[in-house]
Amino acid sequence: MIMIEDVHFAYDGIYTALQGVSLQIEKGECVAIMGTNGAGKTTLVKHMNGLLRPQHGRVIVDGADAKNLSIAELSRIVGLVWQNPDHQLFLDSVRKEIEFGLKNLGFTPEETDAQCTQTLKNLGLEGLAERSPFALSGGERKRVALATVLATEPQVLALDEPTIGQDAQQKELLARMLMDLNDRGRTVIVVTHDIEFVIEHFPRTIAMAEGRIVADGSTSSVLSNEDVLERCSLTLPQLTVAARALHKAFPQVSERLTLLSELEDAVSGILGGTQ
Amino acid sequence: MMSFLEVFQYTRQDSAVHNLDPRSKMMLAFTLAVISLLFLNIIPLMIILMAMLPLLAAAKSLRRWARSMKGMSYLLLFIIIFNTLLSTVSNPFSHSIALAIRLLALMTSFSIFFLTVHPDQLAQALIQMRVRFEFAFAMSMAMRYVPTLGQEAYAIMDAQKARGVELDKGNVLKRIRNIVPIIVPLIIVSIRRALSVAESMESRGFGASENRTYMELLRFRRRDWAVLFVSILLLVGSIYTRLFVTLPIWMLFQLPF
Amino acid sequence: MALVEFADFSFKYLGADSLALRKVSASVNEGEYVILTGPSGCGKTTLCRTANGLVPHFHRGYIAGNVCIDGQNTRDATVAKLASTVGLVFQNPANQLVTLNVEKELAFGPENLGVVPEEVRQRVEEIIDLLNLEHLREKHPHEMSGGEQQRVAMGATLALKPKVLVADEPTSNLDPRSAELILDIIANLNKRNGMTVILVEHRLDLVAKDASRIILMDKGQIIADGIPRDVLSMDISSEIGVGIPKATQVYKRLQAKGIELSRVPLTGEELALLVGEAKRR
Repeated sequence: MIMIEDVHFAYDGIYTALQGVSLQIEKGECVAIMGTNGAGKTTLVKHMNGLLRPQHGRVIVDGADAKNLSIAELSRIVGLVWQNPDHQLFLDSVRKEIEFGLKNLGFTPEETDAQCTQTLKNLGLEGLAERSPFALSGGERKRVALATVLATEPQVLALDEPTIGQDAQQKELLARMLMDLNDRGRTVIVVTHDIEFVIEHFPRTIAMAEGRIVADGSTSSVLSNEDVLERCSLTLPQLTVAARALHKAFPQVSERLTLLSELEDAVSGILGGTQ
Repeated sequence: MMSFLEVFQYTRQDSAVHNLDPRSKMMLAFTLAVISLLFLNIIPLMIILMAMLPLLAAAKSLRRWARSMKGMSYLLLFIIIFNTLLSTVSNPFSHSIALAIRLLALMTSFSIFFLTVHPDQLAQALIQMRVRFEFAFAMSMAMRYVPTLGQEAYAIMDAQKARGVELDKGNVLKRIRNIVPIIVPLIIVSIRRALSVAESMESRGFGASENRTYMELLRFRRRDWAVLFVSILLLVGSIYTRLFVTLPIWMLFQLPF
Repeated sequence: MALVEFADFSFKYLGADSLALRKVSASVNEGEYVILTGPSGCGKTTLCRTANGLVPHFHRGYIAGNVCIDGQNTRDATVAKLASTVGLVFQNPANQLVTLNVEKELAFGPENLGVVPEEVRQRVEEIIDLLNLEHLREKHPHEMSGGEQQRVAMGATLALKPKVLVADEPTSNLDPRSAELILDIIANLNKRNGMTVILVEHRLDLVAKDASRIILMDKGQIIADGIPRDVLSMDISSEIGVGIPKATQVYKRLQAKGIELSRVPLTGEELALLVGEAKRR
């Protein structure tokens, strides 16, 4: 679905951001991209929808070389959801915001209308359709920004730091929505710092540092590798800390647990279930 | 071409000029500017311009000045040509050359100030010259947030480009309309940011008392008084010369066309 | 007398439909480390702003009840007056740095309050020493990472020598390592310097072990207030969706199955210890 081949990129030709990055993401995958600030995570994702073009290497999106496609064309395939919704809201109603993207990306008036109505429904925004986005709360604005991207039904959904400032419940809802989209065949990519969020919902993690990919594989293996964590400025997930501590005393417990239920079962197993 | 602005940008250097109090430099720049405006003959203006070069050298900024002047060359050519064609005075070309040199002299006199005064020092100078501290603060805060705002603008452009807004295409009218999706979010984001910044400033007592203290105060030293004295002398001398002294013939030289 | 006293305090923002705080009552004594947490919109941010007078002086609205800081009622005391007692650190690091370098930023607060220049300089040097800011002394905010910026912001607040440090989600915008660093600084300020701390934080697994108390809020009210082990093991904390540490979650699930550990674990290591203990019994 998305192939990045040996991409090198430097801002203004001087500030190196990506140094020979290669990766492959298949259709329907669920991937997290993690790393320090300045590691190149966002830069990498911006190559996927054409906002940035590599100085060396290739970006292939859905079989076509990205260099032959415009940003608008690529955005129909790869939808980017930004961290700050206020960076894009500027119209006087939520409905118009959703229609804006649809019109620009070439949807016909009938399609625009249909998609808009459907998206408002899916995200529970019907009641706010005619309200000005500026009058909404932070969480509502985030939903509107998400809606503007989902409305165009891109095959790949990439989100930049979607969990910042969200409480546990909101994160749960977000995760559920993303998993739902993934179940329906969409490819989901998330750029984030949130280790707990990743270990719970993302089977694959790409860890980056200083413009290079340091590790790319199953989340449980990547996020339990001390070396990788050190280089990418990450910390051990809670479950891994618990699993390791238990493993020391009870070697039968795997150090690579990723689910709370697994930890629970492990402890139950040790204590025999009856006290 | 925009590189001509380089001569107004502060760079940190350890030079005699940099180490002067900004207020004495303000007087110096003002004096040099006024002198540049007093005369409209090629020779005197050339002398004035040449006299400023040692100051630039002392400020270790001669190369920067030269680069800026190079960047100005198109503008100067433009001024000379158009002025010569449209002027009604007797020797239009000569007049235009004089104007061009005057412009250079004016720019150079201000550049001596801006090259050697850090925005913070300027703010402090204004405060110590009895400007209300809120205004001086507003000025340095604006400067503090310029790079942040720039970053924000780029992020907004990215976000809107991803929604299909094409910023580099279309006729002039379309391009102007395409500014709206950039400007509106930028303004909103700036307002939200301003509220947040205000909270932080209030929480640290900003505006609590008129008797605000300053950790680093600017103090005039002997050299600053010397610069001030010399500037005033030059200023008075030049005005006197302009008004009462007839310049020697060779100074009034004009090109024949 | 408590250092921070909320007495039946209610507040509604101007133009809002409902109360942001409903009859909130709590007292914080000197030296306590209190965590304030709850779902979005529960009023924790508003409560923070109440502690230094931003509510009601900066954010106007309807108020009822009283808030007393070190004996001063916030209705009468201005924000500036309270600034030397309560320091407030906010979520966005960049928005707390208003000057062109770190030294000036640290001096900003004391200068505002008219502190003598020599003492301002002294405080600046102390903070640089305390928070390891020497290499950042001359840097412009834009030249620093989020974590560094937040450290400077904290320093700028500490320069006012407050008795209480209130931090409203100071780590939300930071990467995990920087977040841990900031939280370590806060924990040390409390442990070593006796600073009274009120911290709003979602990542309870990082802070619950150092805190002396957790206050849980929902819809403008305090619904639980006690030691971390008690509050986090209550059913209500699971119900309203607060970031309960995974170890504590496991404890609760085991409890439901009939397996009892001798106390409520707050970290993975504690969990392992307790399981070991239980096994030996």
